[in-house]
Amino acid sequence: MDYGYINARMRGMKSRLLSHSTLNDLVTRPDLDSLITDLENTPYRDEIIKAKGQMTGILCIEYALRENFTHTFRKIQNFAKQEEAEQYIVIFLHRWDVQNIKTILRGKNIHVTNEEILSCLVPAGEMDQATLQELLKQPDVRAVIDMLATWRIRYAKCLTEAFPEFFRIKDLAVLECALDRYYYTDAIDSVRVPGYNNQIIRDFIQLEIDVTNIKTVLRMIRDHVGPDDARRYLVGGGKEFDERKLNHMLTLPAIEDVVKYLAATPYRFLADIPESAIRTQRISVIEKQLERFLIKKGVGAFLLEPLSVASVIGYFWAKYNEITNIRIISRCKTADVSPDLLKEELIYV
Amino acid sequence: MVGWEVPIGAAIAFAGGAIGTGWAQSRIGAAGAGAIAERPETAGTIIILEAIPETLVILGFVVAAMILLMVE
Repeated sequence: MDYGYINARMRGMKSRLLSHSTLNDLVTRPDLDSLITDLENTPYRDEIIKAKGQMTGILCIEYALRENFTHTFRKIQNFAKQEEAEQYIVIFLHRWDVQNIKTILRGKNIHVTNEEILSCLVPAGEMDQATLQELLKQPDVRAVIDMLATWRIRYAKCLTEAFPEFFRIKDLAVLECALDRYYYTDAIDSVRVPGYNNQIIRDFIQLEIDVTNIKTVLRMIRDHVGPDDARRYLVGGGKEFDERKLNHMLTLPAIEDVVKYLAATPYRFLADIPESAIRTQRISVIEKQLERFLIKKGVGAFLLEPLSVASVIGYFWAKYNEITNIRIISRCKTADVSPDLLKEELIYV
Repeated sequence: MVGWEVPIGAAIAFAGGAIGTGWAQSRIGAAGAGAIAERPETAGTIIILEAIPETLVILGFVVAAMILLMVE
């Protein structure tokens, strides 16, 4: 088996992603029930039917999307097993482990029920459903970290190191940042050796680090956190912004100054955001644009060398975008948002 | 009188075509298997694509035969 096989499968799977016209049809559905009926005529059919037997409404869609996403990436991991591509796929799937641990920690921190936390988990990474359920049985944040350490799960070390600070200031961002930093550092380290595939993965991880840092800087400036405190939440190793540039951004007084500063970088598209959104410090608008940028770059990987890991990355982002779009549609249907407004929220690639 | 170089030449012509065909078919086969796994309806097209490199070995065979028959 080689990249020819993986590439063909990825392109075959991509051809089954929902087209623009199908998405537009979903947008025009009058309510959630008709949306669910429509989704039964898509590749989500099996998961929707399974979910309909257990729940209704938006929960049914969310469950089906999670199941489909998990199943899809398990499938990719299985057919790339013992291939060079597997190590790259695993790097991308580790982010779901990080996401799941964050979700559990958040849930335990604010004492949400295990059922509620479980419904938010996506077991697409190395930690399967059984592992996550066992973690959920732990009574608090400390016990979750201890359990990870007992199982010698890689994320335990960074969490254990950051725990005293979390215990002192009671801010979960400390643990979340430690997890992010560990994930990105580990990912970059595993593709440090020169090579085409390593370069592709490195570029994408660095791009994500940049986007994550920009989002952090914007939040810190909005919340008036001083540069010295804010610096602790940044992740090193980005492509465009080194420590010096990030520190400079943190000293800027307002969000519009950050946007102006970014005009000389590949993030100049942020200058097109309506001035009113920037002046009123609506960071969500900027974050949405950054997310759009990341997804477009990711899906653009399909145009890179076909006999490489690029098609897997392209598919990863295309699938992620599809699921995000369906979630946006289902949530907007619950909130009775008009189709025109809804279309503006979607990300077409 | 035909020397040793004629059958060697014919063998090289045939072997080159055969190796080229084998290599091409392995790559097309791998990609084809992936395509059929995801879209079984493409099986007919994939079988035709898989057969295309056969022309290369046939060409090698013809050249080898011409060398053997025509060189005296």
